[in-house]
Amino acid sequence: MSAETVRTIIDDLGALLLFTMILILAAGQIYRAIYAVAAQSLLIAIAAAVLATATGNTDLWVIAGITLTVKTIVLPWVLHRVVRRMNVRREVEPVIPVAATLALAVMVVVMSFHLSATLGPVNQAITGNALPVGIALTLLGVLVMATGKTALNQMVGLFASENGIFFTAMAVTQGMPLIIEIGVILDVILAVLVMAIMVLRVRSTVDADIAGLDRLRG
Amino acid sequence: MMTGERSLGLLLFEMTFLVLLGPLVTGIIQKIKARIQCRQGAGVLQPYRDLAKLFRKGTVQADTASGLFRLIPVLVLAATVAAGALIPVVRAGPPSFPLGDALLLLGLLALARFLTAVGALDAGGAFGGMGASREMTLAPLVEPVLMMVVFSTAVAAGTTELGALAAQRGTSWVLAWHAADFLGFAAMLVLLPAETGRIPVDNPDTHLELTMLHEGMLLEHSGPGLGCMLLASHTRQIVTLGLVSALFFPIGPANGADAAGLLLGVGAFAAKILVLASYLALVESSYAKLRLFRVPQFLGIGFVCALTALALRIL
Amino acid sequence: MTETLLWVLPLVPTVTALLMLTTRDRRILSAIDVCGSAILLALTLVLAREVAKGGPSALGLLRIDDLGLVFLLLLVVLTLAVSIYTVGWLKQAVAVGNMRAESLRSYFALVHLFVATMVVTVLADNLGVLWIAMEGTTITSAVLIGYHGHQHGLEAAWKYIIVTTIGISFGLFGTVLVSAAAAAHGAVGADAMSWSAIMKIAPMLNPGIVRIGFIFVMVGYGTKAGLAPMHLWLPDAHSQAPTPVSALLSGVLIKCALLGIIRFQTIAAAACGPAFPAEVLLVFGLTSVVVATPFILAQNDLKRLLGYHSVEHVGIVALGLGFGGTIGTYGALLHVVNHGVTKALAFFAAGKAIARYGTRDMRVIRGLLAVAPIGATLLMLAALSLAGVPPFSIFVSELMILRAGIGQGHWVAIAIFLAMVVVIFAGLLHHVGAMAFGEPTETATREPEAWSPLLGMMLLAAIMILLGLTIPASIDGLLRRATEIVVG
Repeated sequence: MSAETVRTIIDDLGALLLFTMILILAAGQIYRAIYAVAAQSLLIAIAAAVLATATGNTDLWVIAGITLTVKTIVLPWVLHRVVRRMNVRREVEPVIPVAATLALAVMVVVMSFHLSATLGPVNQAITGNALPVGIALTLLGVLVMATGKTALNQMVGLFASENGIFFTAMAVTQGMPLIIEIGVILDVILAVLVMAIMVLRVRSTVDADIAGLDRLRG
Repeated sequence: MMTGERSLGLLLFEMTFLVLLGPLVTGIIQKIKARIQCRQGAGVLQPYRDLAKLFRKGTVQADTASGLFRLIPVLVLAATVAAGALIPVVRAGPPSFPLGDALLLLGLLALARFLTAVGALDAGGAFGGMGASREMTLAPLVEPVLMMVVFSTAVAAGTTELGALAAQRGTSWVLAWHAADFLGFAAMLVLLPAETGRIPVDNPDTHLELTMLHEGMLLEHSGPGLGCMLLASHTRQIVTLGLVSALFFPIGPANGADAAGLLLGVGAFAAKILVLASYLALVESSYAKLRLFRVPQFLGIGFVCALTALALRIL
Repeated sequence: MTETLLWVLPLVPTVTALLMLTTRDRRILSAIDVCGSAILLALTLVLAREVAKGGPSALGLLRIDDLGLVFLLLLVVLTLAVSIYTVGWLKQAVAVGNMRAESLRSYFALVHLFVATMVVTVLADNLGVLWIAMEGTTITSAVLIGYHGHQHGLEAAWKYIIVTTIGISFGLFGTVLVSAAAAAHGAVGADAMSWSAIMKIAPMLNPGIVRIGFIFVMVGYGTKAGLAPMHLWLPDAHSQAPTPVSALLSGVLIKCALLGIIRFQTIAAAACGPAFPAEVLLVFGLTSVVVATPFILAQNDLKRLLGYHSVEHVGIVALGLGFGGTIGTYGALLHVVNHGVTKALAFFAAGKAIARYGTRDMRVIRGLLAVAPIGATLLMLAALSLAGVPPFSIFVSELMILRAGIGQGHWVAIAIFLAMVVVIFAGLLHHVGAMAFGEPTETATREPEAWSPLLGMMLLAAIMILLGLTIPASIDGLLRRATEIVVG
């Protein structure tokens, strides 16, 4: 397919990714956030597949496959299991009100686009709108981690952040070496496992609400 | 949709068509809702019967209401129907004489909303005041988002005139969708229940004080006045649906023959409206009404989507 | 020869870790521990000699040059000291119940895995491998921090893993940006992420994107290094971890993160001119020093005090790198070594004191000199050194950094720096003096001091004093060559 089509598709996927990100930010219940981040990972896998067919880079097929299995299915399933075991049902108000979070999100998006507009020449190395969308997704993921009150919200934010980085990395025209991408995914898996274990251990001693974990001060 | 200019006759036809079709759309939504809820539901033409019944009855007016109160229903209906004139129904193209653009449409809808609220306050009842204040609280969240969505689509076409906008889009609507359109469409989907006064923002089926926004403002009207207000809300609904279809799916047959082309254009429009109406019915059946202070959060999603769509277009 | 060593070095601690899993006996575990660390040190010394003779050498994704060698030597020396210290410390910890005897082998295995990931961090030539190894250190050390299993430890470990993972995500993004800039200039595949390859084309890279990439990296790896305002996890993590782990964290891990920053600093200096990364480093360094000071003064918890000290000293290293020039960079690198050694010594001594008194609260610990004279002396020496008193090593490196700053004319920064150092000196002396002198508290155990922790501590103290009095020619040469790599 032509470069123009690839560019359009990447742009469209970028917009959909931003939409899922908004859903994560505004999610009241943790289940919605988990589904949204799974949808986001699915979109990333589709983007990888599209870029793979366009550039002929076989590494990207592997990335698409791994992203699909691991980040779309396995990891959200793990999170789902943790949520069910922790029996968190009620809606938890975030640290700052949702309206303020959404306002911050808008500022982040505008800032990312402005930022990447000042980086003119490198846009040749990164397809389409992937750079500003990537920056926006990464920063918004960090926003989710920072404003998330429960441990699970923070983990979802971590996934979303990694998705943003991956999106940008994939769109770099020459592609990152395969070993790096696999290593990054492995690290995410391990981090999530460690965190899941920690959450379950923390729950056994204290409330899983991170807001309660403030005894270390000064 | 065929492109080309729309003559005065065509405009009048489209306007009448919208007003006549409005109650039918409401009836269809009610029927779909009933079917999903495993009921029979009233017939699809029930809103017409309700309107006919109301126009036959006499008016009862509160003592505290002024002369303006009797004028309000007519003014609201006039504003909404005038808004309907701006929607390209059958043919995509600018009107043959300067009529107005999408901003005027939004302004007319806002004017209708304002007049309704003024009328409710004028009657002096408690429900009216409450409904009016709630409706006005939500209005600043809804109208700017509508404008941002219109702008984000208008930037590419270079005009805010709806007919010309639809003509510019052309018939290949899916592939012509820019990245920003996905977000704009998402914002509109969030806004539709708000603008048409349906769950999860407002409950159109009850007159209970806990659930009503729009209905609260209608409480003091009676007889033909109430009939006008109801007709205005039906028309407002179909005008909003028509706005969405003009901005995002201006598809339809592209030939120029007159009577057959007209019928096909009408058919295409009806099909799109049917799809959007089903969406509204589905949303109404799937969700519960949000508490009033949660509505801004819900609308905030639409706001962010619209703003991001605008940012994606401009930046 | 060097190429073989390059892939053997990360393997040694990995094999040691695996060996740990075979036995449960504490003494055998400690023996494997010390042996593994000693072998690692010996191999590193061989590698150092080879590099001194032959220059940098590379093997695929790994590479060793003098800059990396500085950090690597620090790492292996501290590992050995930690292993020696752990022999005696563990015996006491198991007896008291802080460490469970059944899970000792996983503790040792994790420590050596942690060391292995740090070795890979230092040896990495590929920036992506650097990132992966950093994340690896986060994962292994997070488990170690929460190892005691009680609530505060878990809270500290959770904060640690969240904050550093956020930070490292920024670092990854910066890495991707820099590699995109390199890719735009034709670097293909693995070359786009190889530090040595990027350095060759660095002057031609697009300065705008390298600038933004460097800022992302600074925030990202700076979180791991403990620079303010990303340092919030550090006092919790370093204080809640078991003492040998704290020594490794404060002594080496934050320095490895600094190495990551230095690698990107060299790229940024070549692409955007040296002024830009220098300014960024100055800002972060000064903020760290200023932010750490009030917390040092108002501190009650001994290990948290040391944690805040690490923040301050990392800030000083950043200041040194920011002042730049040969003297500034040499001073910064020397400070990395000095602080690592001194901080580990301080943690060791503090750990013994805490074990003896059963509490970390400094207001309760009194009369240490009477109860444990050698330990108390070492604690005081470490504290004096941290405060920057001659003839200890930190004084030398701080003086060099000061001299560089004055030479460059950064008067405001120097003034603030000096003011903070004076304040910290006073505060630290107050704290430690109160702990060492006076009547011993009743809760202090009177048992004689174990020999192995003392041995570890004296080893470090010897290095500390040696580097304070004179810098041996081989180390001097190593530091000079490392400085050349940074300054260019």
